[in-house]
Amino acid sequence: MMSRIAIIICWVLAIGLALFLLLPLVVIAAASFSPTPVFDLPLSGASTRWYGRIGRLDGFWPSLSLSLQIAVLSTALSLVAGTLAAIAIARGRLPGATALGTLLVSPLMMPGLVLGIALLQYFRMIGFTATWSALLVAHLVVTLPYVARTMIAGLSRFDFTLIEAARTLGCTYAGSVIRVMVPALAPSFLIAGLFSLLASFDNYPVSIFLTDVRSKTLPIRMLQYIEEAPDPTLAALSTLILAGTLVLLLISDRLVGLHRMAGTAD
Amino acid sequence: MSAAPHLVISGVSKRFGATTVLDRVDLTIGRGELVTLLGPSGCGKTTLLRAIAGLAPPDTGTISLAGRDVTDVPPHRRNVGVVFQSYALFPHLTVAGNVAFGLKVRGAPKAEIDRAVERALALVKLGHLGGRRISALSGGQQQRVALARAIAVEPDVLLFDEALSALDRKLREEMQVELRRLLQEVKATAIFVTHDQDEALTMSDRVAVMNKGRIEQLAAPRELYARPASLFALNFVGLSTRIAGQVVGGHDGMVDVVTPVGRLSARGAFQPGASVIIATRPEQLRLGAGDGANSASGRVRSVVFQGSRTLVDVDAGAGASLLAELSGREAELPRVHDEVRFAWPVAETFAFAAEAS
Amino acid sequence: MTDAVLPAPIVKPAPDRERLAAFGFVAPSVLIIALVFVLPLALLLGVSVLDAKGGVTSAHYVRLLGTPYYLGVIWNSLRLGLLTTLIAFLISYPAAFALARARGALRSILLATLFLPLAASVIVKAFAWTILLRSDGLINTVLIALGLIEDPIRMIFTQTALIVGAVNIFLPFMVLPIYAVVAQLDGRYAEAAATLGASPFVVFFRVILPLTLPGIIAGVALVFSLSVSAYVVPTLLIGEKYPTLATTIAKAYLLAREPGFGAAAGVVLLAIAVIVVALSAMLSREPK
Ligand SMILES: Nc1ncnc2c1ncn2[C@@H]1O[C@H](COP(=O)(O)OP(=O)(O)O)[C@@H](O)[C@H]1O
Ligand SMILES: [Mg+2]
Repeated sequence: MMSRIAIIICWVLAIGLALFLLLPLVVIAAASFSPTPVFDLPLSGASTRWYGRIGRLDGFWPSLSLSLQIAVLSTALSLVAGTLAAIAIARGRLPGATALGTLLVSPLMMPGLVLGIALLQYFRMIGFTATWSALLVAHLVVTLPYVARTMIAGLSRFDFTLIEAARTLGCTYAGSVIRVMVPALAPSFLIAGLFSLLASFDNYPVSIFLTDVRSKTLPIRMLQYIEEAPDPTLAALSTLILAGTLVLLLISDRLVGLHRMAGTAD
Repeated sequence: MSAAPHLVISGVSKRFGATTVLDRVDLTIGRGELVTLLGPSGCGKTTLLRAIAGLAPPDTGTISLAGRDVTDVPPHRRNVGVVFQSYALFPHLTVAGNVAFGLKVRGAPKAEIDRAVERALALVKLGHLGGRRISALSGGQQQRVALARAIAVEPDVLLFDEALSALDRKLREEMQVELRRLLQEVKATAIFVTHDQDEALTMSDRVAVMNKGRIEQLAAPRELYARPASLFALNFVGLSTRIAGQVVGGHDGMVDVVTPVGRLSARGAFQPGASVIIATRPEQLRLGAGDGANSASGRVRSVVFQGSRTLVDVDAGAGASLLAELSGREAELPRVHDEVRFAWPVAETFAFAAEAS
Repeated sequence: MTDAVLPAPIVKPAPDRERLAAFGFVAPSVLIIALVFVLPLALLLGVSVLDAKGGVTSAHYVRLLGTPYYLGVIWNSLRLGLLTTLIAFLISYPAAFALARARGALRSILLATLFLPLAASVIVKAFAWTILLRSDGLINTVLIALGLIEDPIRMIFTQTALIVGAVNIFLPFMVLPIYAVVAQLDGRYAEAAATLGASPFVVFFRVILPLTLPGIIAGVALVFSLSVSAYVVPTLLIGEKYPTLATTIAKAYLLAREPGFGAAAGVVLLAIAVIVVALSAMLSREPK
């Protein structure tokens, strides 16, 4: 009896949680079709004109391009560096492997804003003033911990005998990594890649201290729009990003199963 | 060994840090031979197997396979097939995908791959399961897939690392017989690694008994049992009666030994005064005195009925004991606490240096 | 064995190539973290004790820890972090068990709702909450339509708005790690304990809670460090009247040009996060 009530409570909370998480997303999607520049909900009609305006937002394209470049590059570099590190750490042939793992994951627990000001001081001191490179290097510290955490967890469950099996069947070492380890760890790679892409693409607290007037990342640009002149164009942009992510999630679910991805989230 | 040398291992040593795991191992195997490396856990069997596969290159020594020196050849160009203890099946591929893996990597044409996969799966009686996921298979089925994957590439030598140890006893015994038949059918050369003596005796043409990184004896199962070359080999394969004593004389490869149970004779060449352990197999012991044979008496400690045979354990005094195996047809079996005398042939009694244990 | 007297072959001590490779593998990541994380934080520590002329001073810390206003700021940050973490945990922990039981399409949908919010910018979600919570916003409209209230309640720019928004935005970071351990939890443990005569209460506290502790700790540490240092959420949902360490740091750097003071505030924020993370790590190592 007790446990039946407990199970019901769990389910109510799970469904409530899902609805609660979706609520702001639904609001954004609805607002993007608002016929008026203000967000009156429920809508008194529907219009798609805000979607046409996305591209005409002041400084939108350069910001989008900058954010995409930084997100994709820092994710790609982190996936390579983080996976290599995770292999060394998970195989445990390294003295202090656990401590190293903790070190690599620790920036995840550090306030982004503090990292931002620390980097600002540091880059100024060593005379590293190129905005683009500074952003990329800073975002590596944002994305690498996600990759390291996910890949260490994934690799600690990986049977390295599979690599040896592939090698005796005719694969080179690198070939067996690509043919066996990468597909077997696909959920981990997907979740690590997705998390670090989003973490970089959405990063505000680190970027704000490293950008200048000419090169602003998309989140900085968006906060500026909201504070200056909010209109549904931003909602339209977010809705597009959401729709893109939804497609990505559907594909991931088909390919490896979201439950396997969520299972490797830690 | 009838066939020409196929796999020749000579002087192979391997150390990990300060420990010597393989110590100048020599081993020559003929084409089509089935050889088992038998030894206790930690004696270096897996390391030797990995050296043959190229996964753990030896520090010294050479390995040649099918007439080619492969000592410095990486695993992917050695053409060996390995069945791992954990099977190491690729979880993201189907059964057929696993079996096809080696051929795909070698760039074989699709039609040929399909044919080879079909043949290999039929051989292990899994022809109907090609499309299954690995996680949907039982342990025994996974074992067969691992075997099919290894034989599909037609390797020069098949290596099995405790490949049957994860199966339950009944399945394991069935697989031992089936595997031997199957390997003989495809004329494979194979090395099994095991710590299970029954498996070694059942499956192989010859058994290499390994101890502390060395091969102590390489012999056919029957010879290994009947003529163990060392105390270690004697202890590791089969049961025995062992009695410690002192050599008092000898001639022509025989020694006379004084033991707590009396004066006994054994095969062996030792100087008088040497401490030895003499031993014989339990089925050599017969009730009664026996003419010109070794004999000893004592009080029966236990009688264990095992179907076709009965094991009798006798306390011979002074810490010595006798272990006799009597067939079910024996006219009269002793009972516990009986005073009995057993005799056994001198020719089936061996002397080993005592300190070797 | 007569050949034991043969001289042992000269074996050159093989360099441990695997270990060497392992060092090579971790090197790039460790370099990045050392050069772009550890070093800058050490520098920040240094800057926090420098005055405008470059002399050593403790004035920034005295100002932070000695004036009631800044103590209030620290408390604001702490309260935001603690409340958000606590509420997120209370929702996430039971919900994770339901999630772990779900199968098929339901599971995919529920998990997608956890991943999807991560794709919307924090800024946009916070903005959506301002739309929802306005006096003429959706929530007030619905409440009035249902006859539950007569006049709109003021919700935006209140602490309620702040906490609701923060919980909403950081929830996935609590649910995902907990779900990961709960999903791996083998139901047989609980069954075994129950067959040993343990009551559901005992099963929970002696078996389930310890087994899921690593996930709880990961979630708590992550959500706390995110929410205690949140900048966008308080800026958009409550504004000037709820100053936090994060907004203080931003102001010190972006407006007031007081890097020394900003750095000191950063160090205090860092210290709070480190203490909580270290406490969590110690808890997870405690033998159960
Ligand atoms: N990679 C390695 N590093 C260090 N020691 C090892 C390594 N591989 C094996 N050993 C050691 O070598 C010895 C022999 O191991 P192994 O060949 O696996 O024995 P077996 O297969 O006979 O049980 C063991 O003591 C083991 O600890
Ligand atoms: Mg072994």
